[in-house]
Amino acid sequence: MSAPAPAPAMSASRPTPQLRWQSALPVVAIAAVAFVVPALASSLWLKVLTSVAIYALAVASIALLYRRLGLVSLAQIALMGFGGWVTLRLSYAWGMPFEVNMLAGGVLTACVGIVLAYPALRMRGLYLALVTLMAAGGFSILVNVIQFPNGGPGFTGFIVQSVGSMPRPALGQSDGAFFSYCVIVVALGFLLIHLHERGSPGRAWAFIRRSEAAAMSAGVNVTFYKIWGFALSGFLAGIAGGLLAGNLQHLDARSFPAAESVMLFALTIVGGAWGWLGAVIAAVLYRLLPAFLNDIGVSGNVAYIIFGVALMHAMATAPRGLAGQIEGAWKAIRNRGQS
Amino acid sequence: MSAYGLFLVSGLAVGALYALGGVGLVVLNRATGFLNFAHGAIGAMGAMTAWQMAAWAMPEPVVWGAAIGIGALLSLLFGRFVAPGLAHREPVVKAVATLGFAIALLGVMNLLWVTTPRRLSFTLDGLFITLGGIRITGTRMLAFGGGLAVVAGVTILLVTTRVGLMMRSLADNRPVAALLGTPVLRVETLAWGLSGALAGFTGLMFGGLVQLDPTLLTFMVIPVIAAAIVARLSSISVTFAAGLLIGVTESMLALYPPLAPFRSAAPFAVAIIALMWLQRGRRLTFAGED
Repeated sequence: MSAPAPAPAMSASRPTPQLRWQSALPVVAIAAVAFVVPALASSLWLKVLTSVAIYALAVASIALLYRRLGLVSLAQIALMGFGGWVTLRLSYAWGMPFEVNMLAGGVLTACVGIVLAYPALRMRGLYLALVTLMAAGGFSILVNVIQFPNGGPGFTGFIVQSVGSMPRPALGQSDGAFFSYCVIVVALGFLLIHLHERGSPGRAWAFIRRSEAAAMSAGVNVTFYKIWGFALSGFLAGIAGGLLAGNLQHLDARSFPAAESVMLFALTIVGGAWGWLGAVIAAVLYRLLPAFLNDIGVSGNVAYIIFGVALMHAMATAPRGLAGQIEGAWKAIRNRGQS
Repeated sequence: MSAYGLFLVSGLAVGALYALGGVGLVVLNRATGFLNFAHGAIGAMGAMTAWQMAAWAMPEPVVWGAAIGIGALLSLLFGRFVAPGLAHREPVVKAVATLGFAIALLGVMNLLWVTTPRRLSFTLDGLFITLGGIRITGTRMLAFGGGLAVVAGVTILLVTTRVGLMMRSLADNRPVAALLGTPVLRVETLAWGLSGALAGFTGLMFGGLVQLDPTLLTFMVIPVIAAAIVARLSSISVTFAAGLLIGVTESMLALYPPLAPFRSAAPFAVAIIALMWLQRGRRLTFAGED
């Protein structure tokens, strides 16, 4: 994936051809994951891995706000739900291609993100986190009343007894193909984040994170870039919601409680908010670990105990999360190999 | 009239529980700077322990004592072993760490008590008085009366005692209070214990009046936080009033059909409106105190 690879310092000393080879590596790796995994995994695990890919994007959208602006969003699952709702609604309304619906879901969720950014302009830290938590709580109740569209009439598009299911994208009809589709979309999402961080928004965010007052006095439009960050985060969460709707072809209102948003944020910290690896680890913990424990006959509640302890550990001793620890260990091994 | 009265009474009882929970959060937040997301989980653990004791046919005072004791114990464990390592981090980090404790406790509870419908009933459920044609059970009165008593007790503790003075000084400025010789660890330990005991009591009442379910009780902390937010996590009496307001609003909305399905959103709506109102007129905040 479009990694902020351990590149800059090392690539400077390397000859150019090797550099080219390195920059092609993420593309090869993504292609390998996207097209080899469906051939190997059973249909049950393929479904789990598809949701891992989707939630990796949601985690990346949380991590972006946390790492770049120091903002805690406890509403990301709710934003996914919103994106999924829009995707389903548009699909039943006009039957446009999946991509159009998904992008519209992303754009509208970005608008919701901008609304959430409004309190972020005046608050920060704990209070902002609490505003997003309250928004998530409100959303879960709202969506439980109006339900997700399933082909019914009217604005809500919900009917109690319906077997309607949303069509998947033309390129991802089967479970295997949809997995590849998700991995590629998620990789594009990671690329979008990467491009932002490399470009002027990234520099502005870094400045804001360091000191808002200094950023402002240096002429950085703090308001604009904060809103931009929220919009990008909302867009990615909305896209993830659209993919989730495509994966299951319908959504259940009960699966978007505020508690899940809180849980996903917790795992973002456990995984590590500083790069793509942390997002993947968090998604694996969130979706794959419970399924794996279930498979070997261990109660899924054990996963909760592990998460909880890991979160306390991460907050107290490992601020860069598991990804940070893995990268640290990898670097130590390489250094030993070189010396 | 009767319907209004009925919903008012049930709203006041549930509101008193939001308020009790909120007061526990505020006491802890003032003394230690922790917003405790595990408050609900600690209360749930207390309530589940109480249920277990009752299932073993223990006498009711033991059942009550177990809930409150387990609450205080769990809170103290976190406060003594995890919290000191985070004392100097920003409030969000502290809050997220308590989230870890909540999730771990929830896992333990779901592992120990497999999800089945349970009921927690007290002798007080059978007692009632009739006021203006409305029957009020003893448990509801206890929730309300207990809430009032706790607010009064905590306020007296904070205002008149030496420990209360130390807690307030820690809340105002930790480094200076510590420099002046406030025994930080002792005061904080006391706050954790007190808040945990309150959580145990609140969880027990929630279990009796609303529903006894670990997951539900654990995340009951979210509307409880809403009540505490209205008071900016600092005022005991405002928290109590906000809790009652939220409870009554939520309950009374049931009588207004267009909004009735959305009534559980009342805590969030009240909290968001209150937060926006409290922040009115503020422009960009620069780094520093939240």
